[in-house]
Order: sequence, then structure tokens, then C-alpha cells
Amino acid sequence: MDALAKKHYAMVIQVAKCLGCQACTVACKFQNHVPEGQYRTKTPVVGPNGTYPNVRMYFEKEACQMCQVAPCVQVCPTTASHYNEDGVVLVDVDKCVGCKYCMTACPYDARFLNKETGTADKCTFCYETRVSKGEKPACVSTCVGGALMFGDVDDPQSDVSQFLAKHKTEVRKPEFGTRPSVYYVYEGVK
Amino acid sequence: MDVTWGAGVSHEIAWGGLIAIYLFLAGVAGGAFLTAALTDLLGKKGPSKVVRSGAYIAPVSIIIGLALLVFDLGRPFSFWKLLFNVNFGSVMSIGVFIISIFTALSVVYAYLIWVSSAASGKIHLTTGAAQTAASVEVRSQGLHKAVAIFGVVFAVGTATYTGFLLSAVSTNVFWSTPLLGIQGVPFLPFLFLVSALSTGLAAAMIGAFDSKDLTLYKKVDIVLIALELILLVVLYASVKPVFFGGNLATLFWLGVVLIGLLVPFVLTIYGVMRHKNLVLPVSSMVVLGGVFLRYFIVYAGQILR
Ligand code: SF4
Ligand code: SF4
Repeated sequence: MDALAKKHYAMVIQVAKCLGCQACTVACKFQNHVPEGQYRTKTPVVGPNGTYPNVRMYFEKEACQMCQVAPCVQVCPTTASHYNEDGVVLVDVDKCVGCKYCMTACPYDARFLNKETGTADKCTFCYETRVSKGEKPACVSTCVGGALMFGDVDDPQSDVSQFLAKHKTEVRKPEFGTRPSVYYVYEGVK
Repeated sequence: MDVTWGAGVSHEIAWGGLIAIYLFLAGVAGGAFLTAALTDLLGKKGPSKVVRSGAYIAPVSIIIGLALLVFDLGRPFSFWKLLFNVNFGSVMSIGVFIISIFTALSVVYAYLIWVSSAASGKIHLTTGAAQTAASVEVRSQGLHKAVAIFGVVFAVGTATYTGFLLSAVSTNVFWSTPLLGIQGVPFLPFLFLVSALSTGLAAAMIGAFDSKDLTLYKKVDIVLIALELILLVVLYASVKPVFFGGNLATLFWLGVVLIGLLVPFVLTIYGVMRHKNLVLPVSSMVVLGGVFLRYFIVYAGQILR
């Protein structure tokens, strides 16, 4: 990540609080005008697995993990995929040629080729439309179960920093060394 | 139950058949160029049929390949942006320049070979045109050599680049498989280089199948096929067996191994020993095997994401 980044935005997902209502999926479609059949975020069900009395089922919100060492940025031939001044991974639509190299590199399947623009698309943490104006991303604001938190982890006073200091969190596929900025909390998941 | 609870799972494969064929054509172009230019540089007599065949196949093949690549872009008409927004950390960005230079060299080289064939009477032209060709040939001797030498470098670059393009995706455990487990030495560039040499040589031989003595080329081909078989054994031993299972099993065992390598291997040896001209069937199978190999590698790397 850009060492000069002013902030380090992160999202915390408390999996046990998610009801699977898909309000985030829909809020994102509204906010970002995502084409039919395509998603910047979705919250698929995991399970149900096991047999009574040990049946396990939960919902896991998926989107760009905002890697601090992002494979998509590394492989992008045009520098369209980049870290912005606040360390958020974004796609510059003017530079993107739609080569899909980033899609082959993202281990989280977070990217798609936008049907309307022909360019790579993914979650932006609602950077331009909301976060840069001091608001939270659309999914976070709308979350019915209160499962999502968002803020600057470089600011020790922020909600996310305080939460991360007290809870055990996981990132997805840590073996790739991508250092995601989306943290999952599985406490209380049955 | 619907696994996504409302939102359909869209597991799209980012790179499909067009990219596989592009990687194959870039390999054929590199291999055909090397066949032509090395014969031309090391041999004494004017451009033989193999030289001409290889020299003409190279630009045609790479240009068709590039057209497919551009067509596969989400924004085909913005391909020129690849030349102006450079990322030195991106293998693709570097590859754009290697391939562009190779394409230019292969076009110039094909022209020079055409000129010298015309000058030595291998192509029938009107007397005036032949004289012009002869005078161009005399003036372009130095250029001819330089283009061949630089072309050889960029042909190797192009063929290996097609492997590096995939192996550089470090998050893809299949594509980024290291050679014999040596960290930092990717496997695919070697496999694709050998396959490029073999398929390019085969393509050049197809274009010159009625030439009298192709024995040397056939022998080189035997070595290349053997090398490729060894590399595939290495690959098989290096990765999880799942990559060779499911739908891809037939493609791999029947297409890549049997049609592309084993049958041509046996037939070439037989042809050389019995002095039979089996160039057309053997080389066609080798070329087809090259297509299968690219399909297999491109898909196997994406099917299990
Ligand atoms: S999750 Fe994928 S798209 Fe998002 S930053 Fe990481 S590699 Fe890039
Ligand atoms: S599709 Fe666009 S953003 Fe992705 S690697 Fe290609 S140019 Fe970069």
C-alpha cells in the first residue's frame, strides 16, 4: 500500500449478527448503479451443514477485501487499478481496457467486468460517493442486524480500532499475504 | 437451498478460449520465427522453403493472436491505452512492449525474406521486379542479419512471456507452480517456451512439407516433444491431482498427451527410420496439441478458484 496514505479504512463484519436479509446487497445496487445480474457485494449463506443438534449456518458478506498488498493492483498493466490517497483500492475507469488480468489475480472473486462500461468493477467502500464526504458506505448504513462497522484503523479513537483491540478477528485467505482490510469476527457463530 | 440466498453465484471465468488461442498463436509465431531465423543465420544457402514458411507464418500468427486479444478486451477500442499507461510491476505491461517489437521485427523479416527469395529466383517475378528485388537485397544484407538476430531475442521473449503472464499471478496456485519446487523459478515459462518451439517448428514444416530434407528438423522435433513430455511429468508431480481430473481429464490425457505428444513422437521416429514423409499428419497433431495445452493450462488454473 502507498506508504503516504493518510488513512487506513477498514470494515469489520460480525458474522453472528448477520440475518442474511440482503439489505446490503440491495443498498449497494441502489448506491452504485450496478448492472443487472452483477454485484459489488453479496452475502451468501454458508451451510446449513451438520446434523441436529449441530447444524451450523451463517451468512458471510463478500466484497472486495481492500487488500493492502493487492494482487489486482500489482498485475494491472495500465495502472487503472490503484491505491488512492486514503489507501483504498479503486479502478480508474478511464485507464481500464478490460483485460481482466486483475480478475484472474483477485483471490476473493471480488471483481467483475461491468456489462455496461466493459471495465473492471468492484466494491469501492463507496469512497467517492459517501466516505469522502464523511458518510459510511451504503451497506454499513443500511445493515439491519448491526453486523457491519467501518472506519479508520489508523485512528485509535475510531469504533473499528477500539473494536479490533478487544476482539479476535480473521481475514480471508491470509496465506496469500494480501493483508485485507476487511475483518471477520466469528464470535458467537453457531 | 439456493446457495447465495437471493443473489446468483456468478463464477465467471475471466480468461477463456480466445486467450488460450492467443497464447498458442504467440507461441507458434515465436517458434516459427526461431526456426526460420536460426536456419537462415546458421545455414549458408539462400532462404530454403522452411525459412520462408517460418518467416511468413510468424507475422500472420502473431497478428491474428493480437487481434483475438484485443477482441477479448472489455473495451477493444481502448487497447492503445496499454501503450501509454505503463506499470513496470505488471508482466502484461512489459509483455505489450516485447510483443509489439517482435511483431514489427517479424513483419520486416518476412519482407526481407520475400525480397531475397525473389532475388534468388525462388519466386517468379517479372524481370524488372526481380532486378529491383535483387538490388534491395544487396542493400539490405546488414539489415537482414540484424533483424534476424534481434528477432531471435524477441521471439524467445514472446514465447516465454506467454508463460510468465500466467505464472506471475502469484495468487493462482496452479499457474504459479514453481519449477521442481524451486521458489522464484516459475514452471510455465519453460513449458510454454518448449511448446512454442515445437509447435512453431511443426507449423514451419507444414508450410514446407514437400521439401526434400527435413530430417534435421524432425530430429529437433523429437527432442522437443521428449522435453515437453518430461516437463508434463514434472508438472503432474508438482501439483494436486484435482487439476488433471473432471472435465479437463479428457482434454489433458487425450488431447495434450496422446494426440499432441505421444502419437507424433512415435510417428516421427518411425518416419525418420523408414524414410517416410509423415510431416503433414505429425506436425498437424503437434500444432493441435499446442492448442489443447494452452486451453488446459488456462482453464485448469481458473476452474478451482
Ligand atoms: S479483494 Fe480482490 S479486488 Fe479487492 S483489493 Fe484484494 S485483490 Fe483487489
Ligand atoms: S481489467 Fe482494467 S483494472 Fe483490471 S487489470 Fe485490466 S486494465 Fe487493470
